Amino acid sequence: MSNEILNYDKVAEESLAKAQRDGAETMWDRRAAQKTQCGFGEAGVCCRICAMGPCRVSPVPGKGAERGICGANADTIVARNFARMVAAGTSAHSDHARDIVHAMHHAKAEGPFKIRDEAKLRRIAAEWEIEDAATKETYALAHQMAEIALEEFGKPFGTQRFLKRAPQARQDIWAREDIAPRAIDQEVVTLLHSTHMGCAADYESIFRRGMRTGMADGWGGSMIGTEFSDILYGTPTARASSSNLGVIDAEMVNILIHGHDPNLAEMVVLAAQNPEMVEMAKAKGAKGINIVGMCCTGNEMTMRHGIKIAGNFYQQEMCIITGAIEAVVVDVQCIFPALPELAKTYHTRFISTSQKAKIAGDMYIEFSEATGLDNAAEIVKLAVENFPNRDAAKVEIPDIKQDTMVGYSVETIIQHLDAVVNSQLEDGLGTVKPLTDVIYAGVIRGAAGVVGCNNPKQQHDYAHITVMEELIKRDVICVVTGCAAQAAAKAGLLTLEAKEKCGRGLLEVCERVNIPPVLHMGSCVDISRILHLVNLCADLKGIDPALLPVVGIAPEWMSEKAVAIANYVVGSGINTYLGVIPQVLGSPNFTKLMTEDVQEFIGAHFVFEKDPIVMVDKIMEDLEAKRVGLGI
Amino acid sequence: MSLTDLIYAGSNAVAGLTEGAVNDAIAKYGEGHSVGYPDTAYFLPIIYAATGVKIKTLGDLPAAVGILKSLITNKEDLGEALNAGLATAVGAEIIEAIRYLDGDPYANDSGIGFVADPIIRSLGVPLVTGDIPGIAVLLGESSDPAALAAIVKDYQEKGLLTFMVGNIIEQALEAGVKMGLDYRVIPLGHEVTSVIHVVSVAIRAALIFGGIEPGKLPEFLTYTKERVPAFVNTFGELNEVIVSVGAGAIALGFPVIADVPVPEVPGALMTQADHAKTVEFSLEARDIKIKVTKIDVPVSVASAFEGERVRKDTMFAEFGGNKTKCWELVKEAELSEVEDHKITVVGPEIDDAQFEGVDVVRLPLGILVEVAGKSMQKDFESVLERRIHYFTNYIDGAMHVGQRNIAWIRLTKEAFEKGFRLKHIGEVLYAKMRADFDNVVDKCQVTLYTNLADVERLEEEMVKPIYAERDERMGALTDESVETFYTCTLCQSFAPSHVCVVTPERLGLCGAVSWLDSKATKELDPAGPSQPIEKGEAVDEKIGIWESVNKTVAAASQGAVERVTLYSILEDPMTSCGCFECICGIMPEANGVVIVNREFSEISPVGMTFGELASMTGGGVQTPGFMGHGRHFIGSKKFMSAEGGLTRIVWMPKELKDDVAERLNKAAFELTGIENFVDMVCDETIATDSEAVLEFLESKGHPALAMDPIM
Repeated sequence: MSNEILNYDKVAEESLAKAQRDGAETMWDRRAAQKTQCGFGEAGVCCRICAMGPCRVSPVPGKGAERGICGANADTIVARNFARMVAAGTSAHSDHARDIVHAMHHAKAEGPFKIRDEAKLRRIAAEWEIEDAATKETYALAHQMAEIALEEFGKPFGTQRFLKRAPQARQDIWAREDIAPRAIDQEVVTLLHSTHMGCAADYESIFRRGMRTGMADGWGGSMIGTEFSDILYGTPTARASSSNLGVIDAEMVNILIHGHDPNLAEMVVLAAQNPEMVEMAKAKGAKGINIVGMCCTGNEMTMRHGIKIAGNFYQQEMCIITGAIEAVVVDVQCIFPALPELAKTYHTRFISTSQKAKIAGDMYIEFSEATGLDNAAEIVKLAVENFPNRDAAKVEIPDIKQDTMVGYSVETIIQHLDAVVNSQLEDGLGTVKPLTDVIYAGVIRGAAGVVGCNNPKQQHDYAHITVMEELIKRDVICVVTGCAAQAAAKAGLLTLEAKEKCGRGLLEVCERVNIPPVLHMGSCVDISRILHLVNLCADLKGIDPALLPVVGIAPEWMSEKAVAIANYVVGSGINTYLGVIPQVLGSPNFTKLMTEDVQEFIGAHFVFEKDPIVMVDKIMEDLEAKRVGLGI
Repeated sequence: MSLTDLIYAGSNAVAGLTEGAVNDAIAKYGEGHSVGYPDTAYFLPIIYAATGVKIKTLGDLPAAVGILKSLITNKEDLGEALNAGLATAVGAEIIEAIRYLDGDPYANDSGIGFVADPIIRSLGVPLVTGDIPGIAVLLGESSDPAALAAIVKDYQEKGLLTFMVGNIIEQALEAGVKMGLDYRVIPLGHEVTSVIHVVSVAIRAALIFGGIEPGKLPEFLTYTKERVPAFVNTFGELNEVIVSVGAGAIALGFPVIADVPVPEVPGALMTQADHAKTVEFSLEARDIKIKVTKIDVPVSVASAFEGERVRKDTMFAEFGGNKTKCWELVKEAELSEVEDHKITVVGPEIDDAQFEGVDVVRLPLGILVEVAGKSMQKDFESVLERRIHYFTNYIDGAMHVGQRNIAWIRLTKEAFEKGFRLKHIGEVLYAKMRADFDNVVDKCQVTLYTNLADVERLEEEMVKPIYAERDERMGALTDESVETFYTCTLCQSFAPSHVCVVTPERLGLCGAVSWLDSKATKELDPAGPSQPIEKGEAVDEKIGIWESVNKTVAAASQGAVERVTLYSILEDPMTSCGCFECICGIMPEANGVVIVNREFSEISPVGMTFGELASMTGGGVQTPGFMGHGRHFIGSKKFMSAEGGLTRIVWMPKELKDDVAERLNKAAFELTGIENFVDMVCDETIATDSEAVLEFLESKGHPALAMDPIM
């Protein structure tokens, strides 16, 4: 089954064949060992919240046990399980953000953590109504901002500061429906409380509280994570990079950075640039040090430094299987616990660095903001010294890589849009007006954010690429993040040449604005950039974003973070299409709430559709209906 | 209504009108009745370009209407909507063509309607040189006629070619805009469908210069987008038909700028309500850069005024023209001898007291332009001197005819009243010499002599000896006497695969680029369109084959043309861009060739007009038996010397014959000993039909009849 499912990927087959030869185990072997997955879990009707259970109720109404020991029915069980995924996802993004803010609190002029986008610092300080935002000494302001941002996690009163970025119409809906998120930690804690044994048993109430927690992710943790990373490491600008396993260089010391948090990776890049390290690598017989990225750490690093992208989530094992990786350095999230064992098949060292994601099996070098650069130097040195241990007979790097353009932050997109603004127009610069113009004129039919992971329930990358290719063909511009973005990179969609795959309207836009039809906007926390962009467009037109012809899509999602994201995207008024069906079908009521009823009070809903082509057809109907609604 | 809905509404309306007009016309005239536009070789050009179909009779039209309707899908998609815009263009072309069935529908209109092929060919050179930096298409009725007039005048002063449709024509005329091809402001007509005549110009540019194969519509659209620097300004409220026409313009790559709110598409469809900004906004939208030479004179100076005639009733002053002496000279001088920007009038100005109450001021005039520069060469003197003609004509209110000591200049009363004086001619010449020849002219001073004694003395002592010296140099300049030929790829912005090989005895086919011009161009713009070809050894010097030439042409045409025989019309003849002055074609029964110049609109003895002959070649394609060339080439000993030389010429229009007679007679005599060869060449005043031409040739004993068979 495994090989069949990988047809779409050009490198997978040879990579897996090599794994078999090398006696290495991969996710496909483990997937096969799982045999048929649990039907109750799949339907979301297994409850193990208390020790009276586990209880499982029938996923089919009217057949078998309909209630757990405490009396919770399928609606309650499904809603609680789903809400707890939101809480975990929100926690992941937000805790990541907290580390960024902590790093900013450590920032000082001499580095290694320092303010690289001062203008943005001052812009956000002004947005947060800080006195002397324009004049205060940079680091004093940075430290003050860091403290205020940390308050967003635990402040006793009030809601998230960034909510004001939304048009008033949307803010009014949040107030009316009571889903404006308060302090991030509070939302997570209160949701976990609500879903404790013997608390909430009203599936709609649980859903609403879950959505509010998701909102704390999108408009809180994720947005803080994005904006503060930009201040600290620079706002991404359009730049060229390269992607897929072919970026691993047989003649260099290869270090794979994997995970999500840029703090460690930034330090590793800095350490690897140290001439002493490079000299040491040469002394060991390498031509230099090659850092390659994976998952969202890869995204963070490629969009700020052009660091090459080795691949996305499902390629993490293949990367090691090349036999040419000296060290895999990981921070947090989406790291297979299988990696240390796999690394042992080769000379590769596996190094985990975060207390939050300590992984047993090889090395642990704890990274802290106070000693960041030293930690990184130790890691790079270890990798360089490991180079002579490489077994040339086991090195096999697929000769496939694809040029790509990355780094389209909101600021960079606006800067590109400015290029088509006639200089005779007063006040025409620095806005998203050209984008709303082409949407309103029908030159492009709408916009889609395509995001998310890989999941063996979908043919890898196939759903991502099919959805994107079909959408751009139909004049829908795509913005992408996360592993979806890396799938697009590998498929060549993040290139100016990809305009040839577009409909006439999007082709015109790509040519005039000089952008790829699919724009790499960053990592998964950077979905907050997409949120910001959509809200700028809505604000320009003075309407609720729910009225705009835009959609969110997660064709191959798998993580709890994706569930949190889907909640805040819907909560923000954007219909969200999921290519992997969440574990909720055991409750028809909850399913209907997600896919229909929520529309009535939030103005957006979830759509479950496994077939990417059918999904695109549904999306086009959705976008055209929105256009009709706007009279455009 | 959404933008696409508006476009479709307009397209559907035009489709309905077109179908009705076609049915009515067929009912009235019958299917066999011919339909077409005057003086074009391209049938209904847009339909021909888009589909390859040659519409000849009314019976051909229903099928075209069918295609048109199939283009209107009413689908919500930009590509489809733009196609609907093209359908509107096709409809307009059909409707306008039907209007021509009853004779010229523009006979009593201030608009000119259809633009004939030869006019388009004549625009080729100024467009590729950037002399015409862009094409403005203005449409509608302005709420503010004064602002409209200011916009048109601004385009005019910037040298743009402006086409006008609708009531703005009268509005601009009333506000004093000078109109006509000579002023580069062309009124097309009042019906919105008459805008098709400018679309037809753009499409035929692709056929004529681009050599694009009819039927390959996407290639036409790419050509117009990349190479025709046009844009549209609309005035007043827009209706669906105008929006649909606008969609057609956008499909061709021309941005549309309206002065009322529209659904904006940055770079393609935009609003600029402030008329004071329309010009700059539009130029930026089409990325047209204007090279501005600010000249401190009281009237406008722009290439748009080049064609202006000064007639007796508007004339204030006159120099030359057989009434007084008038000469002009550009002379190289040492850097130390020239005081930059020194303008001197030696003798009376035109406002001298002695002319009080005189009907026309007449003065002798000698114009001496002295230039100095480290890279200046004596050979460039005549190149710069020929430019005096153009620079003087650029003055709004001045006319310049002739050259050297047969120059003839007139100034208008209007210019005088605005304060224009003789010294301002000096200012204009100074400014343009510095601006256009900045690489070779470091310093320039201009002296204008108006005392008869000075003018006569200097003519004898200085001017005539220099002319004589130059003539001698020119006479000695033959293809054999130089080591270097030049390429001219100026036209590649329009005709991407054409390259001219310019030799001393064969100037560029447009007539505008001589060997000396090329040499100077290389100096002015080292990486520019004129690149040297080191001749090397000839493969066949007699018919003009050089390995070096073939190599260079292959490279410069990106491989489109691999071999060129310089002196043959049959074997690998030189290609044409399309803007040639003359076309030469074989007349087999006379064993010779006919030459037709662009200005001659009647049919030639080979049964084709200039336009039809011209359509056989052009666009960088080699067509044995047809060759475009400059007028000057007719007096060259190298003229089709591979096929027996210039005594093969059997027919030319009278005007052309007279123009080239002196040089042609001289060359023919030197080559063959035949005296007054020109008298043996037939013209339209003698005969045009084949038999009568042959009869005439036999009666004169034309040498071609006795030569080897040409084919």
